[in-house]
Amino acid sequence: MTLLGFIDDVLDVPWRVKLVLPSIAALPLLMAYAGHTTIIIPKPLIPYVGLKVLDLGFIYKIYMWFLAIFCTNCINIHAGLNGLEVGQTVVIASAILIHNVMQIGASSDPEYQQAHAFSVYLVQPLLATSMALLSYNWYPSSVFVGDTYTYFAGMTMAVVGILGHFSETLLIFFLAQVLNFLLSVPQLFGFRHCPRHRLPRFDPQTGLLTGTDDGTLVNFYLRMFGRKSENSLCVHLLLVQALGCCICFGLRYLLTGWYK
Amino acid sequence: MARKRASEPATITTTKGFTVATNKETKPPPPPPPPQETSNDQPIAPPKKGFIFKLSLLLVAPYFYLLFFHYQIQHDLIKPILINAGLSLAGFFLTVKMIPVASKYVLKRNLFGYDINKKGTPQGTVKVPESLGIVVAVVFMVLTIVFQFFNFAPDSNWLVEYNAALASICFMTLLGFIDDVLDVPWRVKLLLPSIAAFPLLMAYAGHTTIIIPKPLVSYIGLKVLDLGFIYKIYMWFLAIFCTNCINIHAGINGLEVGQTVVIASAILIHNVMQIGVSTDPEYQQAHAFSMYLVQPLLATSLALLSYNWYPSSVFVGDTYTYFAGMTLVVVGILGHFSETLLIFFLAQVLNFLLSVPQLFGFRHCPRHRLPRFDPQTGLLTGTNDGTLVNFYLRMFGRKTENSLCVHLLLVQVICLCVKFYLSPYL
Repeated sequence: MTLLGFIDDVLDVPWRVKLVLPSIAALPLLMAYAGHTTIIIPKPLIPYVGLKVLDLGFIYKIYMWFLAIFCTNCINIHAGLNGLEVGQTVVIASAILIHNVMQIGASSDPEYQQAHAFSVYLVQPLLATSMALLSYNWYPSSVFVGDTYTYFAGMTMAVVGILGHFSETLLIFFLAQVLNFLLSVPQLFGFRHCPRHRLPRFDPQTGLLTGTDDGTLVNFYLRMFGRKSENSLCVHLLLVQALGCCICFGLRYLLTGWYK
Repeated sequence: MARKRASEPATITTTKGFTVATNKETKPPPPPPPPQETSNDQPIAPPKKGFIFKLSLLLVAPYFYLLFFHYQIQHDLIKPILINAGLSLAGFFLTVKMIPVASKYVLKRNLFGYDINKKGTPQGTVKVPESLGIVVAVVFMVLTIVFQFFNFAPDSNWLVEYNAALASICFMTLLGFIDDVLDVPWRVKLLLPSIAAFPLLMAYAGHTTIIIPKPLVSYIGLKVLDLGFIYKIYMWFLAIFCTNCINIHAGINGLEVGQTVVIASAILIHNVMQIGVSTDPEYQQAHAFSMYLVQPLLATSLALLSYNWYPSSVFVGDTYTYFAGMTLVVVGILGHFSETLLIFFLAQVLNFLLSVPQLFGFRHCPRHRLPRFDPQTGLLTGTNDGTLVNFYLRMFGRKTENSLCVHLLLVQVICLCVKFYLSPYL
């Protein structure tokens, strides 16, 4: 994925091809995945479905495939502010680490613990190197991260979610990105006009950003909560990200006895 | 600045719009071919399909003969090999299709060079896209990744080694492409393969013994010597050596891809021969493993050669030489025939030995160590630089670029034949 992301940054690949790149990069993962392909039906739905556990078989691999494409592109489109791409990765990675440790601590099944340890082995380096990048990329940015970084980070997180067997939890950590994606759907799919950049409008006199009509979380937040400076907007959005992760932890806590 | 090769391991410098000073000659330009017509839809000349077809027949005929007729290879071994061959064929056509597409993007981003060996002729002013090795590498990766689906069960041991191999090759391609784009200093370049080889070293779970050549057994007193962890150091050096070796034996249109194609064909023939004469299934598997990686390499390289053969429409970049070098090392190591691989690299080793004085600073090492091109006659003359290219020209007189490349590839073939003749004695 890093190779393809770098090629994209250098050669400026057309965006339709960009969407497809993660699907190619995810193939080794799909080939290597030797785990269960079952999903556990939430307890309230068991009477309707009639099964406790549903074996999706090869459809689970299709789900994994879509997850990889989704996560990598999602981080890519929730971007445009100094420090936002790396910042969101750092927040999600920290949440993943906490989740991993909690699962290792609460479990007594060695295979389950190993799966979460596996995830830790990949997320710790991701977190450390991303923080180093953030030290240059935080407002005001001395460097930009490129599609290389967003694709690399997105794929790493998709990989740990899949091979650590907590992909549903990962999706909830990605709540902010999912929201951003849903807001973007009209423009991405051509129902509304999609300009080259969907960034907020910068006013050099006040130094504040104003939300445009584009369907991104950045603009939506500005429209809801008024104009902001770039620095404070990024902090707010990262707090929204953290809030999404906390909601995930809360949901898991509430549903543990009831959901699974 | 123009396309460079063969100095302190070669670099391709991307020109950012420099112009080449043309000769202030009043005489009409000599024989070399006219520049190809380019337009936006067709950024480069069409592939030399006829040439590649003939070359393929030449290389592949002995291989298929051995595979199907000469040896009785059991069905369950041949089947994945054939599937792989089919995939590789598809990869050939895909690469042929994608190279012009990629060339457009590469030219747009100013990743091009001017052909130094045509300086002073109209061809020397054509912008030739660089780093097209990236197309080969990406198609290769896709082929090899998809192939897993057809051959290995998900919990097979081979998957680990296979994926480690792919990881090393992919990492090397990334580093090679970064080098082409960012023009990394040459001392760092030497180190890149050592980093890229890590996945391979970590995954290597085979024997760490070497078989002592028969003539030396009486002196050493052992038939088989277990090197242990020193074997891994040997593997590591082999990786660094082979990747850089292909890189410095370069500079002539078609030489880099040509040498890879020749070596890859030899490896395939060696693999088939070893599978045919052996009855140990693990041994056969190791050689089949090597074939699964070399067939795609050969197919995609032939596709690149159809554009890169004289006169080159595209340049391959360090991306290609590093990618190819690493792939060959990986198959040699994981197929457990690394000593044979070194002998296949005889021409590259010769070139390296000739280069030692300049590489290590005993003699002055210019930026380029290419032969001198005379635009009037269209012939290359050997300089005093220590490369096989120049040495050959000094020994055998001036040549055109095309015939020099053919000669050097024949030298490569002769070196390979040496190996096949010597093998009963080693």
